[in-house]
Amino acid sequence: MARSWRNFFRRKREPEAEPPRIEAAEERQEDAAEAAPPAREEPEAVREEEPAPREAEAARVAQEEGREEHEDREEAGWFGRLRQGLRKSRESVVGQLNAAVAEFKDAEDEEFWERVEEILIASDVGVTTTAKLVGELEQEALRRNITSGEELRELLVQKAERMLSGPVELDVSHKPTVILMVGVNGTGKTTTIGKLVNFLPGKVMLAAGDTFRAAAIEQLQEWGRKTGAPVIARQRGADAASVAHEAVEAAKREGMDVLIVDTAGRLHTKLNLMAEMEKIGRVIGRQLPGAPHEVLLTVDATTGQNGLRQAKMFKEAIGVSGIVLTKLDGTAKGGIALAIANEIGVPIKLVSVGEKVEDLHPFDARQFAEALFGEL
Amino acid sequence: MFDTLSDRLNTALEGVRSSGTLTEDQVKKVTREIRLALLEADVNYNVVKEFVSNVRERATGAEVSKALSPGQQVVKIVNEELANLMGGTASKLTFASRPPTVVMLAGLNGHGKTTAAGKLALFVRKLGKHPYLIACDTYRPAAVDQLEQIGRELRVPVYSEGTEPAPEDIAERGIRRAKDEGYDFVIVDTAGRQVVDEQMMEELRRVRERIKPHSVLLVLDVVTGQNAVEVAQAFQEYADFDGMILTKLDGDARGGAALSVVSVTGRPIKFASEGEKMSEFDYFYPDRMAGRILGMGDVLTLIEKAEAQMDREQAEEQGRKLMSGKFTFEDFLKQMQMIKRMGPLSGLLGMIPGLGQQLKGVEIDDRVMGRVEAIITSMTPQERRNPKLLHNPSRVRRIARGSGTSPQEVQKLVKQFGEMQKMMRQMGKGRGFPKVPF
Repeated sequence: MARSWRNFFRRKREPEAEPPRIEAAEERQEDAAEAAPPAREEPEAVREEEPAPREAEAARVAQEEGREEHEDREEAGWFGRLRQGLRKSRESVVGQLNAAVAEFKDAEDEEFWERVEEILIASDVGVTTTAKLVGELEQEALRRNITSGEELRELLVQKAERMLSGPVELDVSHKPTVILMVGVNGTGKTTTIGKLVNFLPGKVMLAAGDTFRAAAIEQLQEWGRKTGAPVIARQRGADAASVAHEAVEAAKREGMDVLIVDTAGRLHTKLNLMAEMEKIGRVIGRQLPGAPHEVLLTVDATTGQNGLRQAKMFKEAIGVSGIVLTKLDGTAKGGIALAIANEIGVPIKLVSVGEKVEDLHPFDARQFAEALFGEL
Repeated sequence: MFDTLSDRLNTALEGVRSSGTLTEDQVKKVTREIRLALLEADVNYNVVKEFVSNVRERATGAEVSKALSPGQQVVKIVNEELANLMGGTASKLTFASRPPTVVMLAGLNGHGKTTAAGKLALFVRKLGKHPYLIACDTYRPAAVDQLEQIGRELRVPVYSEGTEPAPEDIAERGIRRAKDEGYDFVIVDTAGRQVVDEQMMEELRRVRERIKPHSVLLVLDVVTGQNAVEVAQAFQEYADFDGMILTKLDGDARGGAALSVVSVTGRPIKFASEGEKMSEFDYFYPDRMAGRILGMGDVLTLIEKAEAQMDREQAEEQGRKLMSGKFTFEDFLKQMQMIKRMGPLSGLLGMIPGLGQQLKGVEIDDRVMGRVEAIITSMTPQERRNPKLLHNPSRVRRIARGSGTSPQEVQKLVKQFGEMQKMMRQMGKGRGFPKVPF
């Protein structure tokens, strides 16, 4: 039931999708079109299509498979982790929801709807999205004459799930695929990169594009040492776009499969910093048409309604392809994800439920909705 | 995205005459709007409930003063209640009678503890203290490096023992060293932690019990949502903090979390940390935060900033000229230079009530000011005093060449200036504040 890493990376290129570089931009559009109904391949098929891995890579793949098996056993594990993370909040939110559901009489019970509203607000879902969810729920309850609280809860979970559903897969089908990591200060960009490296297929290179914050470069280098991924870095204060430039060159030269570019944390209100980020994107795109192939925005789960502004401004500036919801292991419910999915329309791709590498997971809408409101 | 509360209230109270008392029905409408505004600002919903019921009580039957519209009247009540709740005045630092003063920082991951540690060090040095930093974040990769780099930049010594020893041991030895070397203000940086992680929270308790700091400050990101309350309660239990540092205030988050946390824990916010520069750190002024949460602008800060930078008489003279429409490019230049001393334009405009919301998403590039200045300084004194001369294309071309801009840009400025003069004349005649031509 939990989404495993196995189908998370879209690695296979379509047979005809091996065009010369110039057409890469078109190819990308096609890719986007394909992504709409997420085309998932059988994992075995993927393996067959893979070029024969060299020794080091074989070991890596083996390790990866090992981990996947391990993960399969721990399926309940990550669910459990998320659940544990949401435990305290569940005690209050789901507890309250339970109480509300138990008291539910009929759909005309104003007080009931007010309580449901409050519960959603308390999860950071925000006023607009809450109003929409509750409005729809109320209408449907009236129309179908629902009298059971349980049925209503299931309906709420379904609605939330639908809101959250979006293309989850990470597109790593290019060679090299460039992933740009962006976000506000302190939302966990570098940490997410460090974790993600462990799951990515093929050879991964990192670029230390946060040349601003003290010791950000060292932090990424430390992750590089831990994971064995080479890190392209310059001294602090260097131009981030030129670091990215150098990294793309190196990734092409050394036949990397994936390049992840870290960037400095920036508030979405700082126009000069947003412009700097756009420049990084442009520089990458000039060297490798179609790149960056993924732009991931990290959002701290503890964020309130300002998360909407963050997602909106970053999306407008650089076209975010997915959200990484971090720090879900705290008391935060991460309801802002629901608001972002509904109001900004950027899909959530990854969630982080702890500090360990294994705590990073592909996002699963159903599970997230259940963890928020479901009976567990 | 959001309307200001004042706008919403005025809409809700449309048709109410500007005197008399508010009826129960009106109050109900109004409190609904207040509730929504506070929730959108991330104030915890339990806090909102209580707050709204207080306001309802005060507003029902309240006399509406002639000077204020009913909406404004309610805003005034709300503002007062908010400021009350947040504590009326700024709470200043106190220092131990027997130095060193030891301050410990604690908080969630990524809320800005290490940066705040550096900023606080610089802040107390300006107060004549000798700061000393201790790096106790033994978890996050390169966290120690980060503090060391900050220390080097500020030339503040940093005590570190890498990531192996227990943080309480590092802290204890660091404080001893600081004392031996005669430093009188010690700042202990700790690792970020999640409040559900009991081991980590226990560790924080151990550090606190071992070093017995004079002050524990909770570092809280202003974007924090509804769970700020749970976070603060947990840190109160384990770290018993006595104040807070609110960080990343240079963003556009309303910061309702600040209100939640203060009202639940009773601990004041002591410092406001704004930007990425080490100097952007100051005491926290609760009354100003109230305005921010409600989207009413930070009038006080603006007034204070303006007062600090402007020569009052000069300002009055300018004001008179402005209103009479006899405002010339020379005055404009003078004013621009004055404004520039007050900091970035985008920041300033955000502080003006009403404008803050109107300007959301509007790009104000401070570099534009530089170009405008270049154009004006390329004019002859006659041209500056008499903009009509600038209808002559050859003058425009000369100015464009001199300022490194294009004739189109010069013409645009002249046109805008003309519109501004017109606008100001209207204002001078008391027709209210028209829309800004940016």
